[in-house]
Amino acid sequence: MNVFIAIVITGIGTYLMRGGFILLLAQRQFPPLALRTLVYVSPAVMGALVMSMLTTPEGHIQVGLPEFAGLATAATLATTTRNHILTLTGGLLIFWLFLWLA
Amino acid sequence: MSQRQHYIKRGIFGAIPLFIPAIPFALAFGIAVDASGIAPLLGWSSTPLIFGGAAQITLLSLLGEGASVAAAVTAALIVGARHLLYSVTMAPYFRHQPEWFRWVGPYVLIDQVFVVAMTFEERNDPDAFRYFFLSAGFAFWFLWMSFTGIGLFVGPIVPDAWQLSFAVPILFIGLLATGVDSWHKIAVAAVAAGVTALLATLPNRSGLLVGAIVGILLGFLIERFRR
Repeated sequence: MNVFIAIVITGIGTYLMRGGFILLLAQRQFPPLALRTLVYVSPAVMGALVMSMLTTPEGHIQVGLPEFAGLATAATLATTTRNHILTLTGGLLIFWLFLWLA
Repeated sequence: MSQRQHYIKRGIFGAIPLFIPAIPFALAFGIAVDASGIAPLLGWSSTPLIFGGAAQITLLSLLGEGASVAAAVTAALIVGARHLLYSVTMAPYFRHQPEWFRWVGPYVLIDQVFVVAMTFEERNDPDAFRYFFLSAGFAFWFLWMSFTGIGLFVGPIVPDAWQLSFAVPILFIGLLATGVDSWHKIAVAAVAAGVTALLATLPNRSGLLVGAIVGILLGFLIERFRR
């Protein structure tokens, strides 16, 4: 039940974030400083999220050579090609290669 | 062929190539549901109710790890906070539209729909924009419904040794890397990651929230004192 409540609240919240400005503020001016700050939401969240996936609840960072090689390959491919398919395949293949070698 | 059919077709065909990278994501979703111990159908209900892969995976994995509802929901909403930016950016194109479209459109405003809608040449023509946006949006919706369903069955039978769930941090680092186009953003991402690592022992993974907020504050300060 708790899980379903969490899904419903997240669903409503997600919809409001997508629709909020479209529904309410479409006719109004938005403070430029706030708009410029919103640009940093995505890098901050993604940076924090990747790090939280690589750490254990005990505070250890779980990054061996395969993880590091996979992430570095993915970051390089994403920056140079901006192609999500290539980024994912390349990152996973290098990760698996190092896992297999280890 | 009518103009209307023409734009609907373009919307659908614009959506398909961008959906391919979402297929491993749908498998990762299946793995996350399986690992969380949440009943498959209950986990899948997040697909029509939330319709956002990163938020769904974050929410269900955190709940599976024993996080409280409040912490898991907050984390999932912070992960989806970039949609505020899409909403602001898309608002002008919804101005001269029927009221119902302003309510229905946001439901399918996911990353890829934002990208195709912003690169659609005739987005200033309200009718063309509406047909294109809705057909691209609901093409993604239909594909994500199907593939997260398939992911529930296929994800868990992928051998553990493959560690396919590592596809998730790889995808996120890819999204991060394509999004950072200035050293300011790199600094913000690095500070957010650093604070998160330092606070990894906080309960309910709340270090992630503090890390993200500290990063955004740094971004605010950069913009406030620039030039």
